[in-house]
Amino acid sequence: MKSVEEPLLLTQGLTKRFPGVLAVDAVDLVIHPGQIVALLGQNGAGKSTVIQILAGVHPHGSYDGEIAIDGRPFAPVNVAAAEAAGVVLIPQEVNVVPDLTVAENVFLNNEPTRFGFVDRPLLHVRAGEVLRNFAIDVDPVARMGTLDLATQQLVVIARALSKQARLLILDEPTAALTEPEAQRLFARMRTLRDRGVACIFVSHRLAEVFAVADRILVMRDGRLQGDHDAARTTHDEVVAEMIGGTVTVLSPMGSARETLALEVDELTAYDIEDPERKRVDNLSFALHEGEILGLFGLLGAGCGTAAEAIFGAWPGRVEGRIRVTGEEVTIAHPADAIAHGLGLMPQDRRETLIHDHALSDNVVLASLPAVSPLGVLDIDRKRLVASEHVARLQIRTPSIDSRVATLSGGNQQKVQVARWLAAGSRVLLLVDPTRGVDVGARAEINRLWQALADEGYALLLISSEAEELVEVCNRVLVMRHGRLVSEHHGNDIAVGRLLHAAAGA
Amino acid sequence: MTEGTLSDNAVATTERIRLGEIVGRMQQRLSLRQFTLLIVLAIVWIAFQFLTDNIFLTPRNLGLLALQSSIVSLATISAVMLIVTRNFDLSVGSAVALVGTVLAILTVRHDVHPLLGCLAAVAVGIAMGAWQGFWVTRLGVSSFIVTLAGLLYFRGFSMIAADGATIAPLPSSLTTFATGYLPAAASMALITVVAGLLLAIRAVSIRRSHRYGLITDMRASFLRSAVPTAIMAAAGLWIASFQGIPNLVLVVAFFATVAHLVMSRTRYGAQLYAIGGNPEAARLAGIDVRRAIFIDFLIAGLAYGVTGIALTARVSGSVPGSAGLFLELDAIAAAIIGGTALAGGRGTIFGALLGALLMGSLNNGLSLMNVETFYQDTVRGVVLLLAVAIDQFGRRR
Repeated sequence: MKSVEEPLLLTQGLTKRFPGVLAVDAVDLVIHPGQIVALLGQNGAGKSTVIQILAGVHPHGSYDGEIAIDGRPFAPVNVAAAEAAGVVLIPQEVNVVPDLTVAENVFLNNEPTRFGFVDRPLLHVRAGEVLRNFAIDVDPVARMGTLDLATQQLVVIARALSKQARLLILDEPTAALTEPEAQRLFARMRTLRDRGVACIFVSHRLAEVFAVADRILVMRDGRLQGDHDAARTTHDEVVAEMIGGTVTVLSPMGSARETLALEVDELTAYDIEDPERKRVDNLSFALHEGEILGLFGLLGAGCGTAAEAIFGAWPGRVEGRIRVTGEEVTIAHPADAIAHGLGLMPQDRRETLIHDHALSDNVVLASLPAVSPLGVLDIDRKRLVASEHVARLQIRTPSIDSRVATLSGGNQQKVQVARWLAAGSRVLLLVDPTRGVDVGARAEINRLWQALADEGYALLLISSEAEELVEVCNRVLVMRHGRLVSEHHGNDIAVGRLLHAAAGA
Repeated sequence: MTEGTLSDNAVATTERIRLGEIVGRMQQRLSLRQFTLLIVLAIVWIAFQFLTDNIFLTPRNLGLLALQSSIVSLATISAVMLIVTRNFDLSVGSAVALVGTVLAILTVRHDVHPLLGCLAAVAVGIAMGAWQGFWVTRLGVSSFIVTLAGLLYFRGFSMIAADGATIAPLPSSLTTFATGYLPAAASMALITVVAGLLLAIRAVSIRRSHRYGLITDMRASFLRSAVPTAIMAAAGLWIASFQGIPNLVLVVAFFATVAHLVMSRTRYGAQLYAIGGNPEAARLAGIDVRRAIFIDFLIAGLAYGVTGIALTARVSGSVPGSAGLFLELDAIAAAIIGGTALAGGRGTIFGALLGALLMGSLNNGLSLMNVETFYQDTVRGVVLLLAVAIDQFGRRR
């Protein structure tokens, strides 16, 4: 670290209020060139607001305090002004135009022109350079929508770098990436650091924070709680600062019973575009009541597809047999799955929540028949069901009438769980349920799985994070290229072994 | 966590959410948008009262205004129900013309009994809705395209069937009904009974909510609905005292009430809002999205039938070339002004009726001031744009 140099970024007394909330409270930051700084904190700690102020999302004048870059006052009025000054934010959600080519996405709104017209050959040549520079093996003329999520994210980062960023801000850049992809990203971040670029990144994965960051900043309740040299602090110290207390480590409980809840026999799901390609290939397993069965696989291994296929939500062709509590059932539509006591939380919660609608409406969405006898909606019953589940799952919300969009990520996930509990589901298919959820809420959600298992619910927990499965599962299955490759019990459930099986090494 | 701690937490949290619930309920009863719209409507009315030398706010003119707004009101009801699911209907005006032509051909040229003619007209309307619904839900063509095509060929069919000619006059029973009024005494009795009934139902439901612990202050809850109901009833009585309520306004009131109940109090209504709010979420929650939207188009078809009959009977004949021209745009504009979101998932029948009333007021008031029609269109266009702008602004804060 070269902290003797002139700081690249200085903030003094940075403060931002939203109606009723002090989101950022007098934050003083000093960022030097050539530093990788991790910004940690639970959801609502103020991390997002800080980086949004720096990136010009909240314009100058909407916050208090001073920002300086290279010792000169920095007062961005919008994102473009911040980017012009070399501060580039890469948001957590991948923002791409799926119908344009990779090259067109890289130079979106920044296309090289000739006589006022877009110079397409030059566009593709330059995009090729940018991608090679970042070691992304993608054809610049490929349509963006055909790439997987991780590659799309790498392209977005490449796009930001092509803008001559001096301060690169990444909001949970690895949330959708697999381990090797994340490593590629980190390698690139280190190269940038050596060129004098400063990086601030938000992450909930502590392992990667300690692996890549030079410095760790911790926020809680809008304030800066800690500023550490990454080499001289510990995992526990940082987590304690984040949650404002000491950490309790969970251990899986063996509560699996003998009764079979769900049996899947020779399940095969075919691709939509290429009907010959098998996305899930001959998958068979059994799930018991009170069991938390893990299903682990890298991106594209077919774990999420398997869950959708079981639930009747996979748009492609599906073969195989499914038995619920020993009886063979036909599931052609999610309605059939729900009728047989299944519930699905897909990977992207934007798919299942209606953000603009009230919490209560979201909770009863899958149990409408129960709250509308003879087709007439019983509003009192709807509100009672919602209140009961808010209480049961400890969903933190001002009211059951609050829009779901106003809740934190962890509470949004609980709304999904509430929906399935209200619908009487006994078997829950959970795909990456803690994605984009902060550490505190993550621990709380994992405890919730154990509480549900203790009550006899059967849970299939699908995750691309081995650590999470190790923490809560009784048994873990590993998939690779659509096939089941191994099954792990007891001491055999370890991060290294799961990763080994999933990667096929 | 054991079951014991789960239920302990239940008690604590129920206490905490109660306050928020009351505020939420108030917001539910009347959205900010509808409240703003009521104020705008009041300002417009008062302004016209001055500008028209006290002609605007008279029982006679307000009764006329309600009558003039009735056709757009009928059309905007089904427009809301479709837009809420992210679907559009551009074919309303042409579909209505075709229904009118069918009605006129049957009753005028073939001497079919008016009642049978009306049944046939409604059947034709529903068939048109089913046809468009089939294209949208089974073949997956966007409703915008399907109904744009309908806009063209429904009018075409109507011209072909009538050879482009006006068919008139319709049997007098139809015209008498469409231009008639429920006598003043009966109208006033009807308003009183309906208002009393509404308050009684409200009282019962408040009592039930109180028993469940969802409401703490029964009197305040009751007053919140009783006061507006009483004001509306008084206004209705004043207007009806002149020559009663126009029959067509009663028809609008009937269908609007049914549609309002469907949207706010039935499983089907909840499904429509969910589909518009997030179609994928609705599908994963087990809702049969295609079936719900198909039924939505059948309802639109019913609206074609009713609106077509009303429009044709009012002028006592079918004019295939111009009947219902631009009705779809007025209907969509009324829905949008009334707070229906183009992106789906949000919108109320009550709001859309207020939107239709606001646009009708502008037409009526400007006509009373002897302003040319083309200025009226301009004003309505500006009002539509302003309404949407205010909504966007209000949302962003």
